[in-house]
Amino acid sequence: MIRLENVSYAIESRELVSGVSLRVGAGEFAALAGENGAGKTTLLKLVMGLIKPTGGDILVGGASTRGLRVSVMARTVGYLFQNPDRQLFGATVRQELAFGLDFLGVAKDEADRRVGETLDLLKLDPDRAPTSLSRGERQRVALASLFVRRPRILLLDEPTTGLDYRECVQMMETVSRLNREDGVTVLMVTHDMEVALDFAPRMLALSGGKLLADGPTRGLMRDEALLKRASLVPAQMVALARRLGIAPGEADDALSLAAWVERRAGVNAKGGMPDAGRP
Amino acid sequence: MQGVLEYQGGGTVLHRAHPLVKLALAAVVCVGGFVTRSLLVNLALLALSICGGFALGLGGKVKSSLKGAGSLCLFLFVVQLPFVRAGRTLVPLPFGLGITDEGLRFCARFAARLLGATLPLVLMLGVTRLSDLTNTLVAQLGIPYRYAFVVTTAIRFIPVLFVEMRDVIEAQTARGVELDGSFTRKIKLIPPLCVPLLVSCAQRMENNALAAELRGFYLRKRGSGYRRYPLTGSDALLLAVCGLVAAAAIIT
Amino acid sequence: MDSLILLEGVSFRYEGAGSRALDDVRLSIAPGEFVGVIGPAGAGKTTLAHTLSGVVPHVRRGDFYGSARVAGLDTVTASVVELSKTVGCVFQDVESQFVTTMVEDEVLFALENFDVPRDEIPARVDRALADLNITDLRSRGISTLSGGQKQKVALAAALALAPSALVLDEATGELDPASSVQVFGLLSQLRRERGTTIIVIEQKIMLLCAYADRLLVMDQGRVVIDGPVRRTLEQPDRLLSLGVNCPRVTTLAARLREKELYHGPPPINLDEAETMVREAMA
Repeated sequence: MIRLENVSYAIESRELVSGVSLRVGAGEFAALAGENGAGKTTLLKLVMGLIKPTGGDILVGGASTRGLRVSVMARTVGYLFQNPDRQLFGATVRQELAFGLDFLGVAKDEADRRVGETLDLLKLDPDRAPTSLSRGERQRVALASLFVRRPRILLLDEPTTGLDYRECVQMMETVSRLNREDGVTVLMVTHDMEVALDFAPRMLALSGGKLLADGPTRGLMRDEALLKRASLVPAQMVALARRLGIAPGEADDALSLAAWVERRAGVNAKGGMPDAGRP
Repeated sequence: MQGVLEYQGGGTVLHRAHPLVKLALAAVVCVGGFVTRSLLVNLALLALSICGGFALGLGGKVKSSLKGAGSLCLFLFVVQLPFVRAGRTLVPLPFGLGITDEGLRFCARFAARLLGATLPLVLMLGVTRLSDLTNTLVAQLGIPYRYAFVVTTAIRFIPVLFVEMRDVIEAQTARGVELDGSFTRKIKLIPPLCVPLLVSCAQRMENNALAAELRGFYLRKRGSGYRRYPLTGSDALLLAVCGLVAAAAIIT
Repeated sequence: MDSLILLEGVSFRYEGAGSRALDDVRLSIAPGEFVGVIGPAGAGKTTLAHTLSGVVPHVRRGDFYGSARVAGLDTVTASVVELSKTVGCVFQDVESQFVTTMVEDEVLFALENFDVPRDEIPARVDRALADLNITDLRSRGISTLSGGQKQKVALAAALALAPSALVLDEATGELDPASSVQVFGLLSQLRRERGTTIIVIEQKIMLLCAYADRLLVMDQGRVVIDGPVRRTLEQPDRLLSLGVNCPRVTTLAARLREKELYHGPPPINLDEAETMVREAMA
């Protein structure tokens, strides 16, 4: 779906992205992590074709972004900016959503149907003014205005920054549903390792414009050396599991960790019997 | 374009000169270009700015302003040239238009003046900290601080606006907006591009005003600036240069 | 101990707004406390910050009820300028808070305005920069700095006047985790070394729990929970119903308590969580 081959991007002889190669398959959900200035947003803009690589090539759905106009890319790829206020201008939520279809030449009743569906899916009130909504709601309107176009790929730049917990959960559950049910490929920049752990099975760690690591989120979060190099703070439960010497994948959320502790406590109470359940 | 109006550190005589002397020098070169009637003086002033820019270590700024302002000048040059009818026709063109010797002179001078007025200002801002400029305008020329602050804030916000505009354009093109197209299509683009830009600028200005107020903006008086700016021997020398340029511009 | 900040029955309604942004807020903060404020969007957190700096009701106008005192000054009768000597503020959008183009000038700005004696100024600038470990950035242009560095410059500029209280309103939002941890570390160092009262509005609950000693939870203009961090964390379900997350270590503690494997106070960081688990297994 997305293929980067030895991609570099430089402005004024400063390399912001250097020699990045990776593939993201259809229906995958991957998180892009790394310190401020690691090149995460630049990489996302490169995939969207907003900027063109100075070296290497990027293929999205088989076509190189070099020759594609962004407006053509926008038919299959949706890009959610960190700040929704750069996009929103409509008087109502409905208007905002319809605007995204205007440039696609979608027929009027088809457009109305899609807007209606998206409003239901994202639980938005069509008649509210976007400016009267909270930051989290505005972020969801921006997501909806992308989703009316039925993109196959979603590029999200820190979708939960500035949101409170409830808004954050709502946002991520919506994205996750689009990924699970509609098979939308998601590439998400995030600083929140708990969000990455909960929603993105795969993680790409960037530092200084280079791809440091690419692998299962749970696994990478246990790699002490990598965390240090990419200045990442691991999700709490993964860090705890590692400290306790629990094997990767055995217990890395609060629920399974509690169950693990219960089993071990049972074992200890029964004098080290391997299976506490046996009579 | 980004960073062209920003201060760039350095240790040259001009970096260390009195801010008002630098302002005077820039003003004299700008205005001189408009006062003189000799194209040669125009070109000399332009050459002075370009060489001066490179000598100050601001070659990058010179290049990008030449690129920016230069392309505007070239455009105006080409557009104006056929319409000047005075003088001897060198190349006749259809519709009664033509390129005349007077037209060439007029358009060349116009371009040289425009470029000659841009460069000194860019260079002056490149070697002067904005706060030094504000401080001296307030302390020595008695301009009320709030006016000086408005001017420097405007200069500070120009690059910010550029970035903001780029981001809004990116955000809308990512939604499938085509920036080029028919006229009616372009009209339709005004709200999606302008509303977010205005909203974010208004927010930024408001936050900026609040931040300034919380740090004692309204307490500031004429003598509040901490730094002192004594005139030195090299300042006197630079003022003499100002006088020379002014004289040359007036005589010719 | 005498309180530095004392709010008694404070309510505030912005001009033209339907409901109250603050609703009968009672609050007392002692000098040197590190207070975290959390709550959903629209809970009144920013209005609370503005009340402490006098922006409410002097700049953002509306109907103000009750009494708010900061270092003995009544925020309604005292001016924003008087209050800003006591309360330093850093807001969410760091970028739009700068009033100059150079790091050094940014720190100088407030010192110049408040007529700090000339001979004291160099030392005050040095100290503000040193407190945030950014002495090396002194003559840099602000536009050339990274997000984390800008954050520190904004903090240094607020600290130059040596305020008794520092209010941060979601000021680490744009920072990566490592930089956020660094900023919180600096805040607790300031509290320790200079006795500065720290009030941090933040959505990053894990950082608040690890650094603050008291947590205020706000909802619909009210302070609904106010207490030591650990005691607040003992009610994870109530927090969740208010739209406030708990650190995962706290959730784990709650699960272990349900299974009657753990009876102690909730842990607030990894070290404590590890101790808790080892205790539960023993």
